[in-house]
Amino acid sequence: MAQQAHQAQERWREEEQEMAGSAAANGAKTGCHYSTHPLSSLHCPLVPSRLAFPPPLESQTPAREGNRREEMVGPQYDLVGNPLGAVRATFETTAAAAAAESEGGDPAAAFRGKDWGACELFRSFIFEEGGIDKVPVLNASNHGLIKPNTLVRYHGMVQDMLGNEYYIGAFKDGSTWRTNKFTDFSPFSMPHPCNSHLWERHLFHCVPAPGQNSWTLESSPGPDMRRMSNCISTDVREKRKRDGEQSDSDAMDVSENRDEESSLVCKKPKEDDVHVSSGSTEVAESVPEVNGGECHIPGSSFSCLVKIYDMPDSQVKLNDVIEFFGVYTFDPELAAPSDNPDDIMLDLIEDVTVQLPPSKVPRLHCLVWRKLLSHDFISRPPVAEPSPTLLKGIRQSLLSHFTMVLGNDELAAQCLLLHLLSRLRNRVDVVTVGRLSLNFTGFDRESASIFGNQLYSLIQKLVPYSQAIPMSIEYLNTATLQPRKDNKSGRLIPGVLQLPQGSHLTFDETLLQTGALTSKGVENTMLLKNLMESQKVDYDFEYYKLEMATDVQLLTLSEGKSNILPSDLVVPFRPSSVPTVNADAEELESWRWYLATVRSLPQANEPETYQMIQDDMVSAMRDDRSLGCSELSRWLTMAQIMASSFGEKSLSLEHWQMVKELERLRKERTQ
Amino acid sequence: MASNGGGSSPPSVSSPDARQSSPLPVTNSSPTEPTRRSGGRRRRGSASPYASSPSLGGFETPPHPGRRTPSGAGAGAARQQRQNWTGRFPPTPSTPMSTDDIPPSSDAGEDETDGGAGVDATPIFVWGTNISVQDVNAAILRFLRHFRDPRDAGRVDPVMDEGKYMRAIHRILELEGGESLDVDAHDVFDHDPDLYSKMVRYPLEVLAIFDIVLMDLVARIEPLFEKHIQTRIYNLKSSICLRNLNPSDIEKMVSIKGMIIRCSSVIPELREAVFRCLVCGFYSEPIMVDRGRVTEPHICQKEQCKATNSMTLVHNRCRFSDKQIIKLQETPDEIPEGGTPHTVSVLMHDKLVDAGKPGDRVEITGIYRAMSIRVGPTQRTVKSIFKTYIDCLHIKKTDKSRLHVEDTMDIDNSRASKSTEEDFLSDKVEKLKELSKLPDIYDRLTRSLAPNIWELDDVKRGLLCQLFGGNPLRLPSGASFRGDINILLVGDPGTSKSQLLQYMHKLSPRGIYTSGRGSSAVGLTAYVTKDPETGETVLESGALVLSDKGVCCIDEFDKMSDNARSMLHEVMEQQTVSIAKAGIIASLNARTSVLACANPTESRYNPRLSVIDNIHLAPTLLSRFDLIYLILDKADEQTDRRLAKHIVSLHFENPNLEELEVLDLPTLVAYISYARKYIQPQLSDEAAEELTRGYVEMRKRGNSPGSRKKVITATARQIESLIRLSEALARMRFSEVVEVRDVVEAFRLLEVAMQQSATDHATGTIDMDLIMTGISASERQRRENLVAATRNLVMEKMQLGGPSMRMIELLEEMRKQSSMEIHLHDLRSALGTLMTEGAVVLHGDNVKRKVPSSSPILSFRASLPHTARPTFSTAVAASLYLHPQPSRCPWGQPGTTSLGGCHTRLRPDLPIDETGRPDEAPAAVTPMPPLPQTLVNQPRRPAPSTCCLTRPQQPSPLRQWSFLLARTGNHIAISEEWGRPCRLPSSSPHVGRSQALGWGGALSA
Repeated sequence: MAQQAHQAQERWREEEQEMAGSAAANGAKTGCHYSTHPLSSLHCPLVPSRLAFPPPLESQTPAREGNRREEMVGPQYDLVGNPLGAVRATFETTAAAAAAESEGGDPAAAFRGKDWGACELFRSFIFEEGGIDKVPVLNASNHGLIKPNTLVRYHGMVQDMLGNEYYIGAFKDGSTWRTNKFTDFSPFSMPHPCNSHLWERHLFHCVPAPGQNSWTLESSPGPDMRRMSNCISTDVREKRKRDGEQSDSDAMDVSENRDEESSLVCKKPKEDDVHVSSGSTEVAESVPEVNGGECHIPGSSFSCLVKIYDMPDSQVKLNDVIEFFGVYTFDPELAAPSDNPDDIMLDLIEDVTVQLPPSKVPRLHCLVWRKLLSHDFISRPPVAEPSPTLLKGIRQSLLSHFTMVLGNDELAAQCLLLHLLSRLRNRVDVVTVGRLSLNFTGFDRESASIFGNQLYSLIQKLVPYSQAIPMSIEYLNTATLQPRKDNKSGRLIPGVLQLPQGSHLTFDETLLQTGALTSKGVENTMLLKNLMESQKVDYDFEYYKLEMATDVQLLTLSEGKSNILPSDLVVPFRPSSVPTVNADAEELESWRWYLATVRSLPQANEPETYQMIQDDMVSAMRDDRSLGCSELSRWLTMAQIMASSFGEKSLSLEHWQMVKELERLRKERTQ
Repeated sequence: MASNGGGSSPPSVSSPDARQSSPLPVTNSSPTEPTRRSGGRRRRGSASPYASSPSLGGFETPPHPGRRTPSGAGAGAARQQRQNWTGRFPPTPSTPMSTDDIPPSSDAGEDETDGGAGVDATPIFVWGTNISVQDVNAAILRFLRHFRDPRDAGRVDPVMDEGKYMRAIHRILELEGGESLDVDAHDVFDHDPDLYSKMVRYPLEVLAIFDIVLMDLVARIEPLFEKHIQTRIYNLKSSICLRNLNPSDIEKMVSIKGMIIRCSSVIPELREAVFRCLVCGFYSEPIMVDRGRVTEPHICQKEQCKATNSMTLVHNRCRFSDKQIIKLQETPDEIPEGGTPHTVSVLMHDKLVDAGKPGDRVEITGIYRAMSIRVGPTQRTVKSIFKTYIDCLHIKKTDKSRLHVEDTMDIDNSRASKSTEEDFLSDKVEKLKELSKLPDIYDRLTRSLAPNIWELDDVKRGLLCQLFGGNPLRLPSGASFRGDINILLVGDPGTSKSQLLQYMHKLSPRGIYTSGRGSSAVGLTAYVTKDPETGETVLESGALVLSDKGVCCIDEFDKMSDNARSMLHEVMEQQTVSIAKAGIIASLNARTSVLACANPTESRYNPRLSVIDNIHLAPTLLSRFDLIYLILDKADEQTDRRLAKHIVSLHFENPNLEELEVLDLPTLVAYISYARKYIQPQLSDEAAEELTRGYVEMRKRGNSPGSRKKVITATARQIESLIRLSEALARMRFSEVVEVRDVVEAFRLLEVAMQQSATDHATGTIDMDLIMTGISASERQRRENLVAATRNLVMEKMQLGGPSMRMIELLEEMRKQSSMEIHLHDLRSALGTLMTEGAVVLHGDNVKRKVPSSSPILSFRASLPHTARPTFSTAVAASLYLHPQPSRCPWGQPGTTSLGGCHTRLRPDLPIDETGRPDEAPAAVTPMPPLPQTLVNQPRRPAPSTCCLTRPQQPSPLRQWSFLLARTGNHIAISEEWGRPCRLPSSSPHVGRSQALGWGGALSA
């Protein structure tokens, strides 16, 4: 059998190399890692590019699965192909050890809300041993191809928090403690309740980050799944019927057990265990037909229900963009419409996950996660430590590129650079510090389409998340900007303004004609204005509004100064040529790195400089009485960004003067 | 246990019924085992056996069926029930895994327990717990019988001999109304902490015993009492945050606060089933629903029949109880930053159904439960996932976190407001009261208001007054006086006006923040829409109505459309919004304080122009603001430096805002809402005197011997403002009496505002005319002089009916004669005035002298001054322009005359209709009726004196009528805006049925 599998693998690899050389090479490179395991020959199809090769042998020999699990004691688990095996094995060994220590006490209780080493195992595998590249990325194109109960990763924004879920985390199966962590469905029959522990996990509804630009995806390669689709699906579908039968009978067994004396369950742990677990393994392996076509529609929103364990509640925030590594589960039994409609009682107790059918929304039991910053999208950081000279060089090239895109308008290019480097640094009550929204005036429809499109496509290539919003009466009156909680379904309905931190929004206000705004339009403009002024979005929770803090860069293109969107910096745009240039990939790469690096540079404060700036401000105010709090505050913001744009860690008077000069040039234009 | 579960209906581990009712822990008296278990096992904290018990599914707790079945009668039933209950304990399962046994309390042997439980010498434990049935039984009985409210301790009253709960039980029995006994958990704790902790940890068991004890007690007092009384525990020692509920809370009593967001419909739940034999028609005895299922009899019980499988359920003979599920969501203040609110389902039974509705904030005491989920309708497997809900025991509505929406405006609500007084926890109130006694509370409050906004202390004081508000007053006659204070902030850009607004919006109840620019009239007022489904016209209200009893913050007031602004006239004085559209005429309450902020027209305040010119708002509207603050950016090195420092410190990420003693936001909100709700200050006599004195002084100030001109310094509106302000100031101190110092401070505030806004920049005096008309007295003087000079010149230079003269020539002449600097537009307006007099005719640039005619215009003006009690207000000022056709002018001769007891006077300087042609005059001018007697003959009024005459700044050629009637009392008869054309209806012989003044209706038509 093993030989057959090897042959099949070889055949496959040849094909694969023809079709997609890189992926196969990738697989081969990493393949040998687990071959030291004595049993590795048995489930070797899993080894090199294990997801490409469904283990036909394994599913045909269910008994072996059980055996294997028991034998897997060493560190060599198939972490990608069978993460649950690793989870259970670690648990059982740790629990056994704890039980021995506590002399017949309840070892599992100690693991409530704690990791017993499984997550640590995965963490070191993914981040330290370079396992990250072996973990396939779950996305719309391969959902349905990835085998359930394998390790996947998923990038997504936390769109909604669905609360907690209680599950039987640990239970005693005969004399050993077993765990249900990281699964939806227990392969074991549930024992007597007093032999189990109820644990909780957090549910998050995640979607691909809105406005995520395509370049960010390139930098996160994983094993290519697409090629293998035929193999898996045909293979599995053939067996489907049989599997179904078997699982049915298993289910019967289980329930019969439950109806019997509970002690009976305890008496025959061995057979029961093996039997049931094999059934469920098969079930889990089958790929549903339900999710056939619709998931593969490109661009369709592909959401994922992520279940996170053992985490303080406030660690993950709404709209965080997170990379999850976890067990992808799919259980056709759970996918079936779960409750009969007569059961009105359940209507309200029903949790929201019902509206997220597993066939469309995959479940991911998260083992390890990390928040994604814009840094993480850059595949090749040029150097480890950003030196001012290097940054200055990139700054110059980026600035000259901006100048060209903006038709030789250097002032506008300077402002654009500052704008793109701005971020929310501080919030004091209603005052926000550090934001710099930009308003280019002097556009008409024609020039907006020329320069605007150029500008927008450039921004798209530079920042991770960006969106262009056509500001027209119709848009304002119809678009749903405000995220709204639907208390009926218990879900947060996303609005356009539910954005990840650090998003960039470009508004084309040249499309705005005079006309009547409906109340929705008024509401939308208020939302936008509030976003501009305080970087906050009110989420509608029906009985009250909940303010969510955001950090969004806002760029407006308009004919005159935009009053609907009161930007911090208004720059009349004066192009003198037509934009032509295109940047090559390498340059783009370095610019992205530059923007991400500079934005995250810390700022030190030097009291002397600030004293000088204070004095300068006072004299500036004496010269120009029209200077107000907002202008001066903006100057300081700009000066700080200016300083960091040169890679400086602290603001010097020189940058302050540069900003003042910039302001002078800008003022000249406005007059 | 297994026989029990399996025997009733085999495969129903998770039948719907089983899930509907409470899946229950197995309670178990285990007489065979007590010795073993009392052996002092270790107590395990978190892992209560009940945490996982729901997976048993098929077992239901005795409490519920027991508690909700008033079957049987009297003591017998109760005893029987208890015996049933104890008897129902299934045999011990083989291995009780977790035990929390504690040796029974030593006082178990007390003789109080004369019920059945005490008879048994062996302690009976509820399985898996440290609950000894007898002990608990005894403890509960002790509690019910002997608990005495410490608050009653002082009183000596024979009735008080009985404990608090015994009295409550007696009350229930007497009234036969109550079906539940509310038990304050604090009382339980005070009496017996052990019982309390048992109750919280094992509520199902303890409450079941509680009910039994209660029923026993009742049965002994009143054997014929049939109803079942339930125990409702409330007011737990600690309430848990919804977010922090976790598996260890399962099967425990919890108390959570939250907001109801959804309610299900009422679900009837079967309690007793009655079966009928299909063969013989025999009705079975009512069969109790036991643990969520009914055992259908297999055989007809009638001796003669004995048919098998013939029983059928008779629905209308069954007994059902109500059930409802609500969803409870966390309150916004409990949500951590970047989180979304959690929800939990709450199961309500019987009387609790519909106790709360969506949007209510409630505190719920109940038992946290979990139940397992079946995988599918056909599968019998159970998922490892649990659903959780709370079995509600008690529901209490709590107060809102923002300011109280209820206001004293609603006199009908006064009764209701008393009952909610408890909402403010007494210790909180004490703290607030302590705060109010601080000598510097006023300053402290001022500092606490928007502490990050820098300076502007007087403005903040004004805003504070607005938040506290004056006393609204409604007279029996129906006249009502607003207590809301309206404030306008005008100022240079960048003076953090918007931030102040934002802050106020956050602070105030039902605060609506809107921008004048962003809002159409629709958004600001109410409008009418059609329901898309039914086609019915539906009223929808906008910001002003929504902010009823709140503060409506209007940013960029100057940018607001005229349409929307005109709506404010009514809102700011009448406090209603009237709509007459699509056949619906409605007046909606909009008892809102308006806080508006505006930029000067030229973006920066031009000190050379008058306020009106700077703000460019209709004077009528302007006068409705109690306080108008000019926030100007003055050149001052000191302030500049502080500003610079402030900005820099903001950017330094260590904003060193002065560490002053400020109240935090929640305290401030609580303080304000308490004051608004419970403090209704009244003017003291001294304060009233001071008010009168100050007012008179203010008015005198314009007439001081030094100044030649008569400048009006205060109007009756100001005195109302003053009263409101002083009331608000008294409220800040939680004082029921408005004292002199409040009045003095109110004067100061008004003056601070007025000095800034109502300064006549030509003379430096305060001139309310400036606010009202936009023209200062000195400017008017100048114009009058100019008109006189022009008249002289025209008389001198031009022949009657002679050739016309060009205006430029005239100007040249004027300049030669006069020392004044004269511009062409000055001259033009002067000539315009002359034309209204009928002295000249203007054709383009040509001026022609006209044959004089007798009095072309009648100007009408009436005024009634305020009295010392200014709430009986005030002034009526009306000016009326009539067409220059003497024949059509049916009343009055030129000169001063008296109409209806009021002083009227012809104004020579009023503009005239430029066309001057009689044909275009309205067809009929109806005589103006005399002022209604109610107004004219107010007995306490002193002799009328001229108050003011208002007129538009720039005459519009279209205008034939222009009206302003200031309000009388709180009624505006006509609220026609200045400068808007309105026609007198030609066919209407009766001039309107007006409310107060008699002629309003027709004009505004």
